Order: sequence, then C-alpha cells, then structure tokens
Amino acid sequence: MNIEARNNVRVTGDGPATLVFAHGFGCDQNMWRLVAPAFADRYRVVLFDLVGSGGSDISSYDRAKYESLDGYADDLVDLIDAFGKGPVVFVGHSVSAMIGVLAGLKAPESIAAHVMIGPSPCYIDDGDYVGGFSRDDIVSLLETLDSNYLGWSRAMAPAIMGAPDRPELGAELTNSFCRTDPEIARQFARVTFLSDSRRDLDRRVSPSLILQCTEDIIAPVAVGEYVHRALPRSTLRLIDNVGHCPHLSAPQACIDAMNDFLATVDLRDGR
Amino acid sequence: MAADVPKVDALYADAPCGLIVTEADGGIRHVNRTFCGWTGYEAAELVGAKRIQDLLTVGGRIFHQTHWVPLLRMQGAIAEVKLELRHRDGRTLPIVMNAVSRSHDGHELHELAIFVAEDRHRYERELVREREQAQQLLATYMEAQQALASAEARLRLAMEASEDRARFAEQMVGIVSHDLRNPLTAIKMGMQMLASPTISGEKRERVFVHMEASVERARQLTNDLLDFTQAKIGSGLSVAPKPINVHRVVGEAVHELRMSFFGRRIVHVEEGEGVSSADPHRLTQLLGNLVGNAMAYGSPDHPVTITTRVDAEHFVIEVHNWGTPIAASLLPVLFEPMTRGIEAGGERRSVGLGLFIVKDIMRAHGGRIAVCSDEASGTVFEMVFSRHGERIATG
Repeated sequence: MNIEARNNVRVTGDGPATLVFAHGFGCDQNMWRLVAPAFADRYRVVLFDLVGSGGSDISSYDRAKYESLDGYADDLVDLIDAFGKGPVVFVGHSVSAMIGVLAGLKAPESIAAHVMIGPSPCYIDDGDYVGGFSRDDIVSLLETLDSNYLGWSRAMAPAIMGAPDRPELGAELTNSFCRTDPEIARQFARVTFLSDSRRDLDRRVSPSLILQCTEDIIAPVAVGEYVHRALPRSTLRLIDNVGHCPHLSAPQACIDAMNDFLATVDLRDGR
Repeated sequence: MAADVPKVDALYADAPCGLIVTEADGGIRHVNRTFCGWTGYEAAELVGAKRIQDLLTVGGRIFHQTHWVPLLRMQGAIAEVKLELRHRDGRTLPIVMNAVSRSHDGHELHELAIFVAEDRHRYERELVREREQAQQLLATYMEAQQALASAEARLRLAMEASEDRARFAEQMVGIVSHDLRNPLTAIKMGMQMLASPTISGEKRERVFVHMEASVERARQLTNDLLDFTQAKIGSGLSVAPKPINVHRVVGEAVHELRMSFFGRRIVHVEEGEGVSSADPHRLTQLLGNLVGNAMAYGSPDHPVTITTRVDAEHFVIEVHNWGTPIAASLLPVLFEPMTRGIEAGGERRSVGLGLFIVKDIMRAHGGRIAVCSDEASGTVFEMVFSRHGERIATG
C-alpha cells in the first residue's frame, strides 16, 4: 500500500517535531493554506487528504472500511508511522479532531499532542448533551444529500466567475478544490454526523488545544466546552469568528493560539 | 420612440433574480425586492437582522459551512450551487446561487445572485428517483442472476447424477445380459441333448439336473434384479416381519443351501432362545446371498459357519468363511451395487447386487450389518437385529 498516493501526502518544512494537518468534512488539505506555512520554518509539516476527498486515491475507497471513523483512524496511524519524524502534533479540523483521538487511542505513542479545531464528538443532542442538532436535523441533512444529489455534486466542481483577486489559490486548484465523488460525500456525511466519540474522550488523550469559534453552528461553544471538560489535559481557546473554519476566516488567531500551545507542550522526542 | 431604460436602482430592485449582499459572516446588508418577493420577507426583517445561513435548511447550513465558505474564501467565487431556502411561511424554495467575494475598500462583502429553480429541482428529483429505480432494478437483476447461477449449478449436479444413473443402468444391463447368457446357453445345450433320440435314461437324468440348476440361477438373477429395482427406485425392499424362531428359519435355509452346495460343509451354530420379529423369507434370501458369496470367494476346503444368537434385546446372524480376505480397497464400497471381488473361477457369478440387497434387507428391518475380513480370522458378516423390530442405531 502506498500511503503517499493513497492520502495525497505533502511534506514541507523541517524541524525536530512534525505537525500533521487533517481537513474535515467537505474539502481537502488546501484548507490549511493560510495556516500550515506559518509552521514550516520550525516544524516538519505533513498535509494529506482523507481517502475519498481531494486528491486522494479514490480507488482506495472501501465502503466497508470507511463505514466508521475507525477506518480513517487506521489510515492516520499508518500515515503518522510513515511520515512522522520526532514527536507528532496532530492538527485536526472538525471530524478529523475525533479521527485523531481514535488514532491516538489505537497507537498511544503516536500523537504527542492534539490541536482540535471546531471538534465535536457528537453532533446530535442527547439528554443533557448539546450537540447542536436534533436527530431530525441530521436526517434532514442526509435527505438533502440524497435528494440534492445533482446539486451537491455540481457544487463540488464550481466554475470560476468574475475576476476575484485571490492569490492564495493557484489556477490549477480551482475546480478540484472541494470536489468529491457524491456517493463518497454522502457516506462520509453519514459517518461524520452520526458519529458519537464521547466515550473516547478522557485522560488517555494527549495534551490538547481546543480552538473553538464564538459562533459555529456545526460545533457550538457548548460542544467545545464539553470536549474541554472531558479532556483533563486540554486547553480551550475561543476564537472570535462566525463559522466553522477559523483556519480560513481567522488564520492569524489560529496560528497565535497554536504557537502559544506548542510552547507549553514537551516535544522532546520521547518515542 | 424607445422608452427610457430604467434607472440602475430600479434594475437592481426588480432584477429577474434575487440579489443579496452579505458580510463575510453571512450578515445580510442588502436584498432586492425580487428576493423579498420570493422569500416572503420584508427587507427590514432581513437587513441587519438575519444571516443568509438563517434562511437555509439544516442541510444547507452545513453545506454553507463545509463548502460555500471555504470555496468563497479560497476561490473568491462559487457558481451554480443548488440549495434550498426557507420561505417566511416555512416551505422550502429550491434555488440556484452564484456568489462572489469582493473587497470594498478593504472590507470583504459577499454578493449573491439567486434564481428560483423549482423546475430544475423537480427534474433533478425525477432523475434521482430514476437513478434509485435503476439501482433497484440492477439489484433485482443481480439477484435474478445469482438465482439463475445457483439454479444452473443445481441443474448441472442433477444432470451429472442422472448421467451416473444412466451409465450405471447401461453397465447393469451389460452384466445381467452376460450373466444370463451362461445359464441360458446351458439350458439350450441341455434341450439339444434331450432332443437326441439316442440319449440314455441316465444321461437324460443328469441333463435335467443341470438344466434345473441353470434355470434356478437365471431365476435367482431376475429375482435379484427385481429386488434391486425395488430397493433402488422404489421406497426400498418391503419386509413383512412376524414372530419367528430365528434358529429354525435359518436352520431350514441352511438345509436347503447344503443341497445347493453339495460337497461343501455348512455349519450352523445356535445360541440363546426366544421368539424374534423378522421377515423369514427375507432372512432366507439374505442368507442365500451371503452363503453364495462365501462359497464363491471363500476357501472350499473349510466349512462356512452360520451362527444365530439370541439375547434379551437382539438377535444376531453371522456368516463366516475362511480364505482370501476381502481387499481393503473394496470394503468401503462393498455394499454398493455392482461391486465384485475376485472371480472364483466363474463358477458362481452374480450381477453384484447381492450385498446391496442384503444391506437393504437390513435397512428395512432397522438392523445393522458389519463386515470384518482378514487373513487370520477369515471373513465374517455380522448382522444385528432388534428382537422386537425396533430400529438399531447404526455406526
């Protein structure tokens, strides 16, 4: 198995420790374009696409394997093993934060610290737990995915219009960014939004930074606070931002918070 | 004279598409009249009061966060995104949207144009429905294919079995014809002799005896065939059990066998006493087959010993002979039809149905048969019956 091709792995920078960045549901590693370069001068930076997303090897997509987050966590364990140099800090957005938690439990030495951006262990309200969505909401989302099949798949490959001045994104990436096979997007949405990783959150999880947006419908503040309470070795940082992608809309705040956190983590090679 | 083109403000307000300007966080700054008309809101209810994502369905909101925002941020524009807006009265409104992100004096605003897409929505739903139907049909087709494949496999097995049976029947016809030819030839020769006017009285007597033996052999052969057919094709051999004295039934059979195999010693040993339930004719037939084999394949210099033993629950019949043991390779198939041992000079021949019939007689009685054969102790067939006609566990 060629992990590099399977996960479209890109390695930049160098340093005594490795930062592995994982995108969430929706797009691909390009989500990190405003954040990852800020670390490449001091760290080895590993970017990759989850199988089924972005430039990953779609032929590696196995419906049975990716029927739960475990399949993605297994991939991550392999990937860290192959590309991690020195201690590894895993930076996961959204659902990937939980994939990182699962990988850390599968291979306890693999991840020295977590940076979780907009993490949510469970999107559905459950008794006292506020996930942000009712089960009906999620069912409606999945129905939207099913019935909006053509609409969504079209949205995955948007045409460029007007002449927006966006130096961040090279022309070669337009139209491929966020493109997914609709069938895969549908399964990934189901796996993501029906997942419940609350039982995996406890003191076994390595020191963690939780980056929580002040207004995020996908991962509301209450969820960030829940994750913080569940993880004894965690720090919660609120980022003044509307939306679920602070690494795009408030990249500098993310970078600052991460630098503060990394300064507190013991990143001597203890592996 | 052409009318004046409306002012830009009016063009904006009543454009044939909904036009919205939002902050980067989605907060609505402007809406045109067309958008208000489509969504049922007054402009004042939206501007400064709602975010565009507030007007989306839950699925749309998640899409907004996971796709729309990143795309707009990274590409500056998105086009032909299909979404559903929630009308003020709660119903959903399918729309197609284009959006660009533009900087106005360093302040980022998103400009959206939306088109109502009811027809396209209906058309897409139909396509999705058709696709689902096609998938279902495909699944049904695959199922049918599988069923067909397994039916074909079963058919192939059945054909192989029937070919086996046909081959078996042909072989049997061959063997039976061959085996019937000997006694018939003997009878024909006898008849020719009898027809000779010069035949002496003494010779005529001898010819008669030979002819009778030949007729008996032919009769035996056809009886075996009949029984075999019944055992193989019908529901098995029929038996009519009744209370019998096994020693006496076997004793009478042995007496007759001694006449048939004149010059050979047949010993009958009786052990125990009591009335048993069995079909006396079938026991006689069974004994005939086994003793016939013992005579054909056993050592002619030693006696064949038949033991009948009666205890509280069972009675046992054993047929023992000395001589060359049955080949080990033959033992597993010994009771299959048309299995034969070494020919004993062609003197006694059978179709190879004898032991098959013996086995079926045992089956019909609910009894059990076993065979042991080696150089040191000879060959012995042991048959165990329930005295009361109950089935005995085999193995």
